[in-house]
Amino acid sequence: MPQLAPQVGIVLVSHSARLAEGAAELAAQVGGGTVTVLAAGGTDDGGLGTSAEKVACALRGAEAGAGVLVLPDLGSAVLTVRALLPDLPDAHVTLVDAPFVEGAVAAAVTAAAGADLTAVAKAAEEAWHARKL
Amino acid sequence: MPASSESITLEGDLHARPAGALAVAAGRFAAVVSVTAGTRTVDAKSVLGVMGLGATSGQQVTVSADGPDAAEAVAALIAILGAATRVGG
Repeated sequence: MPQLAPQVGIVLVSHSARLAEGAAELAAQVGGGTVTVLAAGGTDDGGLGTSAEKVACALRGAEAGAGVLVLPDLGSAVLTVRALLPDLPDAHVTLVDAPFVEGAVAAAVTAAAGADLTAVAKAAEEAWHARKL
Repeated sequence: MPASSESITLEGDLHARPAGALAVAAGRFAAVVSVTAGTRTVDAKSVLGVMGLGATSGQQVTVSADGPDAAEAVAALIAILGAATRVGG
């Protein structure tokens, strides 16, 4: 199906590069492969932690004109994102408090359906209420 | 508003990717769309809800929609359930 409007992009910020990459791969596939889901995990030297440079790069890469949703894996990743945002005054970014895997999957599916940034963020937040069993 | 409903027997388990395909398709319709398996009914636009149904091969699943494009939504989702659960994933 042709995309008539740009889709919301998604950036997953994790302390682990592999965790971010795996969650991004899963979310993108469940979303049907049309949504940009980028991983920003680990430090610049490949260790556990978060990198402002990696996050900034992913934010630029995920922006297609409809804004970017950012999901942190743990609370302290929020500090990296928040410290970075004042340096990107033109960025259309929403930082969302949601379960990392479930939130990423819900956001990717909602973005794939063409929803706006507010609706994609809401879908991620609603993942708090989704039971697996 | 017109309402529409149709059932299908799954030919495979409703895993993550078919659930995603279903929710992406549902999200493109204006109608309110739900999926029922057994005693549970969830919003078809919620991929986590659809996955949480735990619907398995051989189970009957019902798609119901209410809204201006309800009939189109039900037809599209039944087609996805038929095709996607045959492929698996």
